Amino acid sequence: MSVTVELTYELGKALGTSRFEVAGAATVADAVRLARERFGEQALEFDRLTRLAAVSVNGVLVTHGRGLRTRLSDGDRVSFVRASAGG
Amino acid sequence: MIRGYAGRVLDVDLAARTFTFGPLDEETARLYLGGKGYGARLLYDLTPAGIDPLGPANPLIFATGPLNGSVAPQSNRFAVVCKSPLTGAIGNAACGGSFAYGLKRAGVDVLVVRHQSASPVRLEIDGDRSHVAFIDASDLWGKGTGETQAILGRKKHHAVIGPAGEHQVLFAGIVSDERIAARTGVGAVMGSKRLKAVTAGGSRRLEMDDERAFKEYTKWLGAMFRRHPVLGDRLKRVGTSGIVSTTNPRNILPTRNFKYGHHPDALNVSGEFMADHALTGVKSSCIHCPVTCGRDVEIEGVGRVKGPEYETVALLGTNLDVPDLTRVAEWNHLADELGMDTISLGAVLGFAMELRERGLLDAGVRFGDPAGVSDLIRDIARRNGLGNDLADGVRRMSEKYGGRPYAMHVKGLELSAYDPRGSYAQGVEYATTNRGGCHVQGASMYMESTGPLTINPHSLHLKADLPVVMQNLACAINSMVLCIFTTYGMLPGFIHRLSPSSRTHRALTAVFEHSGPLLRLALGAKVAPVLWFEKWLTYITGERFTAGHLQEIGERIFTLERMYNLREGLTAADDTLPDRMLFEPTFPGTTSGHPLHLLLPRYYALRGWDRQGVPTARTLKRLHVSV
Repeated sequence: MSVTVELTYELGKALGTSRFEVAGAATVADAVRLARERFGEQALEFDRLTRLAAVSVNGVLVTHGRGLRTRLSDGDRVSFVRASAGG
Repeated sequence: MIRGYAGRVLDVDLAARTFTFGPLDEETARLYLGGKGYGARLLYDLTPAGIDPLGPANPLIFATGPLNGSVAPQSNRFAVVCKSPLTGAIGNAACGGSFAYGLKRAGVDVLVVRHQSASPVRLEIDGDRSHVAFIDASDLWGKGTGETQAILGRKKHHAVIGPAGEHQVLFAGIVSDERIAARTGVGAVMGSKRLKAVTAGGSRRLEMDDERAFKEYTKWLGAMFRRHPVLGDRLKRVGTSGIVSTTNPRNILPTRNFKYGHHPDALNVSGEFMADHALTGVKSSCIHCPVTCGRDVEIEGVGRVKGPEYETVALLGTNLDVPDLTRVAEWNHLADELGMDTISLGAVLGFAMELRERGLLDAGVRFGDPAGVSDLIRDIARRNGLGNDLADGVRRMSEKYGGRPYAMHVKGLELSAYDPRGSYAQGVEYATTNRGGCHVQGASMYMESTGPLTINPHSLHLKADLPVVMQNLACAINSMVLCIFTTYGMLPGFIHRLSPSSRTHRALTAVFEHSGPLLRLALGAKVAPVLWFEKWLTYITGERFTAGHLQEIGERIFTLERMYNLREGLTAADDTLPDRMLFEPTFPGTTSGHPLHLLLPRYYALRGWDRQGVPTARTLKRLHVSV
């Protein structure tokens, strides 16, 4: 099973890519852990940049459901979300 | 006269070339404040039902409010009100820049422009001499908005139209400095009057009831705003287009004519990308505004131009499947010079692209391909060839060529850049807002799906209540006249610094989501001025304002606008969303269409309207709305 992890602009800048596929993520927690592993020595930077980020699956914030325990399906998109304002 | 107002209404007749300075009606000012509220009252009273929006009977009303001319942050905006040629309903648009300041310095609260000139003309208002000069504008006709203002003098305060307004493009706007009163086609009405520009100035000073208290409070508030995570930081760093980073991962970013809410390359038009790759400076663009959400960008082949706003990068970028900042900035600059609303422009281009994809019309443009777009924008502005059809907006296009289910408008006004399938309260707002599918006549999406609180946008909780209180507040704000961005300060800084997965954050979200009656009660209370809206009004006018007063005034304005629309023949059937929003999912298996039918009955009841969406006699009496 494979899901797409989509990063915020700042995370993507730190890693050099805005999205990547991860295999074997059964839950959102797994996907976040695997994403963190991608950052290798920059893991602390990952922690800093995601401290204020929410996580969505296919556009829906997981905080409205089962949170990090949300189960994933093949082809899902897991995104980090920063609050913002504009108009 | 109440403090904060100049006390004068300037009435100009372009056909007779006459003008009169009359008194501002104090009772109307008390009931409707100014701006779009006062303008709506005037429009209702001055015109019968059924007038031709582009005919001489449609007045063009420029209105300021009691906060204009002060140094309150984000307070130099004016409203333009008329019958909309795009929607046939009430039309209004707000604009920053500096014209509001010029008008108030001229000692004019409201400018009413009537009838039509036989030839291009511009007005120069000299407030100190109480004089209006009618000046031939043949030499300016055909010129862009920037060039026109440069010729008229950058140190003066202007409101001008470009070629789109002259050719009565139904989504043409009115420009002041680099800002535009964009929506509902107010520029087409100005063009129909052959009025190229209005310049206003004078040396009148705003009289306040308690200037010392105003200054002390404003100094404190300015410091608070500077520390605020949105007003003092994020908007400065990444501008409004930073919001792409929120709307895209939440599936509410218009993509390919709103078919999808997500684009894989959306970050290429984000504010963060702009800051890293093209930004040459930040600026306020509006006089006396410390927020500096405006951008300057350097675009190869174009030069240093205004950076596009969020709505523009969405509607002209991802919505056309062209997430290319260079192209979007180029088209944005073109639209500004020609004097057009980039929201409606992006929507009409996206609609034309989908018509091509479905074999219904070939306007020479296709999704994912920037070729031909610049030329088509120029053709729209001058109504050349097929551009003439696109210049009439999405609704009329769908009536001529088909595609009604995916014609993305409400009441004829093209939707702004928040997909309501992922933002239910915003969908209710789109459906019910009197000027049509617009986001700044309430901005529920901030409290629901873009701001830091992140309530569940797919539940029904609060989704009828929130639009009511937000629309009321926005009506009041747009009548003071303030920038809607001041509402961002309502969520204190500590909320922005909470982790969304923290217990505190989740608890606050849960409380907010179930706070409907409490929210209405709190905002309806007439206890004491608490927020800056009420405090500024109280210090300036000398009259006591509270949150409850603002909700009441806002509700009154909203209800009067509703009565105007009903008089024009609109019905509850117009309180709807495009079929695509009601019936198509944005992402298979997750987001279905918007449940508007479940929310509208409660919305009507909260507003004191009957089941047909008509304000009851009791509601009109309670709000002192005379019709």
